[in-house]
Amino acid sequence: MTLLTGAFYYMAGASVVSALLAVTRRSPVHSMLWVLALFLHVAGIFLLLGAEFLAAVQILVYAGAILIFYLFVLMLLDLPDEAARPPFGAHWPLAAAAGLSFVALAWLADVEMLAPAGIGVAPVATSIETGPPQGSLSKIGLELFGPFALPFEIVSLVLLAAIVGAIVLARKRAAGA
Amino acid sequence: MIVPASTVLGLSAVLFGIGVFGFLARRNIILMLISVEVMLNAVNLSLVGLGSHFDDLRGQILALFVIAVAAAEAGVGLGLVIALNRNKPGAGVAELTQLKW
Repeated sequence: MTLLTGAFYYMAGASVVSALLAVTRRSPVHSMLWVLALFLHVAGIFLLLGAEFLAAVQILVYAGAILIFYLFVLMLLDLPDEAARPPFGAHWPLAAAAGLSFVALAWLADVEMLAPAGIGVAPVATSIETGPPQGSLSKIGLELFGPFALPFEIVSLVLLAAIVGAIVLARKRAAGA
Repeated sequence: MIVPASTVLGLSAVLFGIGVFGFLARRNIILMLISVEVMLNAVNLSLVGLGSHFDDLRGQILALFVIAVAAAEAGVGLGLVIALNRNKPGAGVAELTQLKW
């Protein structure tokens, strides 16, 4: 086992543990902080898989913007007795069964169907290419402004619609409106 | 690639399952949304793992779009939470039984 493989298994274990803690902690703020740990470990896995740009985006956008946004709203709502109430509804065993059966199904598909098709096998090491490595900023930029230019612009429209929608939803209604 | 793609996919399946459990079991609407983020992260992981396996950048591009849509989802979802909270303080989903105010 090389150092990098060990690092991957550490990140994998840590992300599973922090995800489990995130969905089971009683205090919402603790949950958020465990989700932060999950996001950072997933960013580490992205780095190990050769997706440097995505790792940076994961930390900047997910951990830095989206999660902080969630934390702000959590503080804004002011839920003093939240930690004293049970975190799960009465139906949580059913939810656990649903989650477990999803994991079992996906794992089965992974082992039984993808592995025979060659997905499970580690690919032979490709020869060292010249030019920027896969996942580097310049390659992703060329893809985004080449074949993916239209989806990229559509995503910007989606974000604009979300901004306008969020303002319309969250603003105070004028009296009589 | 340092680990087989099936390992990454297995990890992604486990994370997605945890997200499913969190979404179905939690009573707090914000933590349900956070569980959705966990699921989206699991999907990103499988996209990046497969993209790295096939030496194809499209996996990473798709993951980038998923992150953008997740940001939009967080904005609209939390806007809804604030609007709900204005009408009925608290974040429990069990109390939201009315269809109209």
